[in-house]
Amino acid sequence: MLSSVPESDTVIVADLEAGIGTLTRLPEGSVDTTLVIVEPTPRSIDVGQRAVLVASERQQGRITVVANKVADGDDEARVRAAFNDHDVVIVPVDPVVTAADRKGASPMDVDPEAPAVNAIAGLASLLAETTGT
Amino acid sequence: MKIAVVGKGGSGKTSVSGVLARSFARSGHNVVGLDCDTNPNLGLSLGVGDLETERLLSLRDQIDEDEQKHAHTWDDILDAYGTDAPDGVRLTVVNRIDNPEPD
Repeated sequence: MLSSVPESDTVIVADLEAGIGTLTRLPEGSVDTTLVIVEPTPRSIDVGQRAVLVASERQQGRITVVANKVADGDDEARVRAAFNDHDVVIVPVDPVVTAADRKGASPMDVDPEAPAVNAIAGLASLLAETTGT
Repeated sequence: MKIAVVGKGGSGKTSVSGVLARSFARSGHNVVGLDCDTNPNLGLSLGVGDLETERLLSLRDQIDEDEQKHAHTWDDILDAYGTDAPDGVRLTVVNRIDNPEPD
């Protein structure tokens, strides 16, 4: 469906299934941007690297890696080293996100000024700038 | 702009998707959140709550049944099977039609 959505000014944020299954089936060139979300853990980084490969081969737009739940400089360095050819955006580990999960709420409604929320808002601005949206 | 968000389960991809969608909306963009996950929770991360997220899941099953009879357009799906999330984000949940079995 994503490939058939008419071009417009609308921003479509498609949360794909966990893993890379949907990405492997998505027709080539379906999206303008692929965000690869990784935790600073070996298994998450491994899935992220495979996602980058598939998105790149299938021309799924600009690829940005989001290093999520980053606790310290070591976490950040581990993700940057694994994706040194790509833009990496850092989102810090944040108890507000955990609290929102437990409540079944949006982190933005729990604390709109939380560090993770601010980092993701920065990502939105970056994407808007780089794509001219 | 069409953005695909991918990652291992537990990476926080749905939380990032929800906050990202609302951030775009707060900066004045029209935004659609498209939940393609087999474990759909984007509604929660967008802030529509448990009940509305559950309602969308039942609508998704209906899309799958109806799709046997006639194809839906993008606008049909947003109108009939979507819901309004905070900050003006339009959310819809899709499954089979967006996750076809490989040929």
